[in-house]
Amino acid sequence: MTTDAPAVPEPLDPLIHVPARLRILVTLAALPKGDALSFTRLQDIIGLTPGNLITHLRKLEDAGYLNTDKAGNGAASRTTVALTRSGRAALDAYTRALRALLDGL
Amino acid sequence: MYGTPDTGGAGATGDDAPLDPRQAAMLLEQTSRQAQRQFEPSPPWLLAIRAVLVLAAFGAVWFSVRGQHPYNGPTAAAVVAVVAFGVLNAVATVAIGRRATARVRGRSRLSTVETIVLASIWVGVFVVMGALAAAGVSNGVVYGVFPATAPLIVAGLAWAVIMAGRANWRACGTALAVVAVGAVGAFAGPVGAWAVGGIGLCLTLLAVAGTIAWRQRHFVVTL
Repeated sequence: MTTDAPAVPEPLDPLIHVPARLRILVTLAALPKGDALSFTRLQDIIGLTPGNLITHLRKLEDAGYLNTDKAGNGAASRTTVALTRSGRAALDAYTRALRALLDGL
Repeated sequence: MYGTPDTGGAGATGDDAPLDPRQAAMLLEQTSRQAQRQFEPSPPWLLAIRAVLVLAAFGAVWFSVRGQHPYNGPTAAAVVAVVAFGVLNAVATVAIGRRATARVRGRSRLSTVETIVLASIWVGVFVVMGALAAAGVSNGVVYGVFPATAPLIVAGLAWAVIMAGRANWRACGTALAVVAVGAVGAFAGPVGAWAVGGIGLCLTLLAVAGTIAWRQRHFVVTL
């Protein structure tokens, strides 16, 4: 006799499962691969204060989910943010896990 | 790294609060839709307007040349309609494309070289048209088949190559559809070329508009 244990859904990535960080990743995922978004436009879209956005970006960058790049110096400097391959994979995994979770509800 | 003052913690506005899975799903879909609309350089409504305008412009030329024996070419008013469409199309494309790709860095923006190549191709097509007229080629070719089809074939191919280089297969497919419209029109005679061009481009644009609208509705980061 075989006992088929019910499939255990993947856990939701706690780093992504937060409104602001979920919105950041999903927004960046909508860009064509290889494109980066300026910090200021991302801020306009997400609607966070610069400080909040920086904090969330740092957490995502530390996890390797996104890259930031700063061009120029001083007032003219421009920071851009892009999703990394592992960030895209993490978002895909999160979406799969969320789907499995909702299917089970 | 970010060059902007840190004015608060992430939790200051409750953005660190965990989500209920249903809320997360809703937020994910909402954000994905919003972002796709923001970054789309060819929104469906613009494509639908273009489809109507191109049909009207090419239709005006077809209306002015149908029944011509021998073929003399379109009237000045019809030429003005086509040129007006071309200018409107270019202005709308550039303006909306710039808005969509504002503060975006990477491959979705046309490089200066690519812009120059595309502009040169457009100029080159009409230089060749002038050369054909000077060489005494028939009006049916110079003012009929050539202007109705050559820009579609040449510019379409150039655009397809550029888009294939970026792995943008949707845009590449659209460009190849435009090339196909031009190729079919080339065998439709000087009057038929305008009709084929107008109807073919209109259908292509409507198909692309429908595809983008469908994708925006269904191909968000979906659950």
